[in-house]
Amino acid sequence: MATWVLGISALFHDSAVALLKDGVVVAAAQEERFTRIKHDAELPVRAAEWALAEAGITAEDLDWVVFYEKPLAKFQRILVNAVAEFPRAWRAFPRAMQAWLGRKMWIAGELARTFHVPPQKLLFSEHHRSHAASAFLTSPFDEAVILTVDGVGEAATTALWHGRPEAPHVHPVSEVVFPHSLGLFYSAMTAYLGFAVNEGEYKVMGMAAFGEPRFMEQMKQLVRLDEGGGFTLDLDAFCWHWHPTESFTPKLESMLGPARFPGSGFDPSTDEGKRWADIAASTQRMLEDALLHVAKAAKARLDLPNLCLAGGVALNAVANRRLAEDGPFEKVWVQPAAGDAGGALGAALWVWHDVLGHPRKKGAFACGLGRRWTEQQVSDILEDLRAPREALSPDMRLVRAVDDLEGGGVIGWFQGACEYGPRALGHRSILADPRGADTRDRVNARIKFREAFRPFAPAVTAEAVHDYFEVHPALEGPVRHMVATADVKPEHRELLAAVTHVDGSARVQVVHRESDPLFHALLTAFGERTGLPVLLNTSFNLKGDPIVDTPVDALAALYSSDLDAVYIEHHRVTRSERITGGDLQPEPDGDGT
Amino acid sequence: MGTPRKTWLKLVSPLAWARAGAERRFLASFSETERGSSVDMLAAAELTNRRDLRAKYFIHALDEARHSRLFARRAKDFGAPKVRSKAALDEARTLQTHGIVNGRPLFERYGELEFLAFVCRSESMAVEQFGVYRELGVLDPQTDEMLGVILKDEHFHVSYSNGELERFTREGRGSEVSWARRKVFWRRPWEAWMRFSLRVGHVVTGVWMTLLYMLVVAPFRLMARREAPGWRDVTSDGRSPMALARAQG
Repeated sequence: MATWVLGISALFHDSAVALLKDGVVVAAAQEERFTRIKHDAELPVRAAEWALAEAGITAEDLDWVVFYEKPLAKFQRILVNAVAEFPRAWRAFPRAMQAWLGRKMWIAGELARTFHVPPQKLLFSEHHRSHAASAFLTSPFDEAVILTVDGVGEAATTALWHGRPEAPHVHPVSEVVFPHSLGLFYSAMTAYLGFAVNEGEYKVMGMAAFGEPRFMEQMKQLVRLDEGGGFTLDLDAFCWHWHPTESFTPKLESMLGPARFPGSGFDPSTDEGKRWADIAASTQRMLEDALLHVAKAAKARLDLPNLCLAGGVALNAVANRRLAEDGPFEKVWVQPAAGDAGGALGAALWVWHDVLGHPRKKGAFACGLGRRWTEQQVSDILEDLRAPREALSPDMRLVRAVDDLEGGGVIGWFQGACEYGPRALGHRSILADPRGADTRDRVNARIKFREAFRPFAPAVTAEAVHDYFEVHPALEGPVRHMVATADVKPEHRELLAAVTHVDGSARVQVVHRESDPLFHALLTAFGERTGLPVLLNTSFNLKGDPIVDTPVDALAALYSSDLDAVYIEHHRVTRSERITGGDLQPEPDGDGT
Repeated sequence: MGTPRKTWLKLVSPLAWARAGAERRFLASFSETERGSSVDMLAAAELTNRRDLRAKYFIHALDEARHSRLFARRAKDFGAPKVRSKAALDEARTLQTHGIVNGRPLFERYGELEFLAFVCRSESMAVEQFGVYRELGVLDPQTDEMLGVILKDEHFHVSYSNGELERFTREGRGSEVSWARRKVFWRRPWEAWMRFSLRVGHVVTGVWMTLLYMLVVAPFRLMARREAPGWRDVTSDGRSPMALARAQG
């Protein structure tokens, strides 16, 4: 009889499930892909229903259900903080109590009811332990330093773990606790720069490349790096520890100038735009300096050659590169669901290995863990939606896709199982020819409907990566998942204009034949035709939407944007002309008003 | 005069639209609503067992998504709010993200027939509401023209959903259709009442919690000490891994 473990992360942001069968991940997905609510925080009911159906089991077959954090420990931190911040937390306290006494305190009961499991099957990991397990237990290392850095979990905001070859594999060493938090610092600066928290952090990273870090003096006052390898924040400039909705105080504005209003335009050639870019650059540099500082302390403590990173901050691809280049480690590992969604996977893996005591079996981490669609399902949907399409053989699918791309087309690429985590890695991707900045502008303006300053990532075959990019050897793992940047070689920057950021870098994805044969074949075919096995690869979604998960989502994106074609499994679907209501008047036997 | 709702709309609309920043606020909220509808219609297109209805739901979803973008774009035309208030920030963020929708898709909650009844009723109400705005001339010419385009789609949505309900009736499910229409009609005031009750409850518990904080928590402030910043070692408390995993705290 197989042992089934279901990991769940929920109630903060990016709720998700991960299902293990005898320690092997058989399904993992974020709830947002099902509900179409970006960063959906609700209990991942639909994702769980899908995962169980995918595995061919029911809730009764589950042996363990593990929640990714400990609710009572978190509640304790909130209470203690409210007391410590008396009386200025008077507005935050009622809100927190309403949320906790009204629901979150009783999550065990809700989990049991919602997922139809008896309470004795429920387990609870810890927030940072889940992150740590998600990093180390998917890594290629036998032993490693594990650093988890995010906003806040129960109390910890940054934690050091020892990833060990024997159980317990994830062993706690030390931690920095709330309210001193690098994740919250970066999020507060994200809000200061006019972007949404937990969503706009990538934009700060993109904006940073346009500026110079000329506000470092102020940053060093905001984040003081201590001798012991820790850090202390200037808590007078931030208010996440006592304000219910805001994260920074007027002091921050007195230090850096007025905050950027959400939705304002960004033009780095203006004085104001330059100031924002410089603040973004300084924020990014400060985060990197702090991470390096922490990493050096971790190295001094454990003296191991390899580093595993997780937590929301580990999704900062620029910082990951700096850690590899200037840090003390030989190899760095970041899995693609490094944020809270990955907590579901980490919690489940922790239970399997450290609670149930099963030894590790290392293998390549595959990101395609989500929903997939059969040819018949796709055919039926396309037929029902009367979408103009052609069915293609496997070879012709590649030929036609390369035809489209070489002709300047931008295509949706919907193949196999959806990716787990925020990165589109060739399963639910928008692809284009990377040559020419006009492609980037078109994808930004007419397909993704997003800010013009945001860069696009390149995907490249493993065989050709070193011809075009200067990838640091320590980042061999992260670049598979698009969670680290590399410089585009200077002689190719003009050629690869659509994927080269203003500072000459790119958040490259290196595609290996053995782990992703179809996407590798497409890159190879494009390379054979053009001499360039590189494609612009961005997530298959429109602004404000989660990544597409179903053929219907993909078609909606096709008809709502300027995409030229969508390849859904073996079908090439086009938008010959826009469908309107007039094409589908009520059936002849209906006499609607 | 029309329905009581229409009469009410005629009375309040001129006042509501005359308030400062009303255009931007209303258009942003319409954008959010349309986006929510689009998500629900897409879910219906995926979940329906009636393959003949799938394309209609899909087109409806595309229409709603387009309307959402039109409303959002027009709202932005009215410029950013002048004051950095919380409401203004929320509004700006709504326009950035096109809003968020809560809960399971309506189709899953209601089922096919009731869902169609809901669509028909909601779209009829939208036609009525937008029609009143145009009739009263409370909109600027550009918004008025945009609403005219949107109204054509909304009429189609009413038409096809009503047509489908009538088809169900002809298929011998007339009593189910009537029941679904009644449920949909009464659900709206019921949900409004529930929302109102929730808000009252929220305010009351908020007051109690604030009093609790001010009166009961205050003395503990003397004992509360923040931990020093920097690293602190984590030591095992001796629990077995299973005991650790079973604990919520």
